Amino acid sequence: MVNISLIVNEKLFEVSVSENLRLIDLLRDELGLIGTKEGCGEGECGACTVIMDGETVNSCLVMAFQANGSNILTIEGMEKEGKIHPIQQAYIDVGAVQCGFCIPGMVLSTKALLDKKPHPSKDEIREGISGNLCRCTGYNKMIYAAEKAIEYMEEGK
Amino acid sequence: MTLKEVYNSRSVEEVVGLLGEYGSEAKLISGGTDIVIELKNKKITPKILIDISKIEELKKIKEDENHIILGSGVTFTEITENPLFKGNLHGLHKACKMVGSPQIRNKGTIGGNIANGSSAADSIPPLIALGAIIKICSIEGTREIPLEDYYINKLKSNEIITEIKFEKLNKNQNLNFAKLGLRKALAISRLSIASLIELNEEGLIENVTISSGALGKYPMREKEVEEYLINKEINETTIEEAITVLQNSMDERLKGRSTLPYKRVAVSSILRENLKEFIKTRTEVRAW
Repeated sequence: MVNISLIVNEKLFEVSVSENLRLIDLLRDELGLIGTKEGCGEGECGACTVIMDGETVNSCLVMAFQANGSNILTIEGMEKEGKIHPIQQAYIDVGAVQCGFCIPGMVLSTKALLDKKPHPSKDEIREGISGNLCRCTGYNKMIYAAEKAIEYMEEGK
Repeated sequence: MTLKEVYNSRSVEEVVGLLGEYGSEAKLISGGTDIVIELKNKKITPKILIDISKIEELKKIKEDENHIILGSGVTFTEITENPLFKGNLHGLHKACKMVGSPQIRNKGTIGGNIANGSSAADSIPPLIALGAIIKICSIEGTREIPLEDYYINKLKSNEIITEIKFEKLNKNQNLNFAKLGLRKALAISRLSIASLIELNEEGLIENVTISSGALGKYPMREKEVEEYLINKEINETTIEEAITVLQNSMDERLKGRSTLPYKRVAVSSILRENLKEFIKTRTEVRAW
């Protein structure tokens, strides 16, 4: 076992983890944050996307011990004071969610993009979510959702 | 997975010491985008895993008067966001931008792309075309080898790649890259070509290096194409001739492989796309 400390959703965790554990296993099985999904388990689908030190990563490709000292945001951390994030609201309002499996990763990729670039072009939005596969929607709704989210954030909604 | 011990290393010195002690029982991990899958599938079963992703000295992009030096831990995202790799080094930017997905580019490193040794690694052909030299450290000391020789003289179990260095380009030199993947994002290269061409005052090719990915067992220089192109003017006719030269050399190299008929056709459009950029740069002011 190896002792690590990390911040997840603004909360400090000091945990002892197996050397063989991946970050996704730590989040889901040890911390109970099951909003992060495991799809392919090999970095192709992006369902396990979390934001690690400001950048999106596939949590199935990071070893838990590598997250020592890191700051991690999962979908559970998007909610503030009982209110969901404007990006999540936009996804709901434009109907960008069907089965929902890809959505946590998709929302976090959208957040990482808008944090870096508050006014992206359509192509930049497409590229921003290009590491997240969705087998339901055809992606257009996610692009509309990102555009709607930009409006919401400007209105301070 | 069969790991017994893991280390979060903070210096190359520490890594070199650990590798010296554990040798083939240890593996290095940085971005993890390949190795975590291999660990999970038990394709490799090291006892020790050494994380090098937070070693500051490996994360630097440095330049001196004549060279650009990349730390092996520099990520693809860091390269694509750095203005050094726009302009005539655009080919390296383009290759790194085509790696995997944003998530993979955020984590994957240039040193890992080399060490992993895949024939289809996107960033390697442009670096080979640039004549990059890699610096390798171990407890026995430091050695520097041309990247193009790496694939026949790979890392020993006690070694770590620390730097990738290449000469800066002059204003008459341009680096281009073209790749064929199955789709735009998240696609491993089916084949790729990088070319570094220097045109002289008369518009003739003064110097040229061409490097391919996934056209053989490892990324390599395409010397027959280079020999053909030298002192030629770059135009539609010479490009078509260069394609024939490349196809002939592939016929030899990939003889009997089921992918040859496909790659033979596919390579023509990739080399054409790549070299046509030079017709543009010859006739107009660079737009990028």
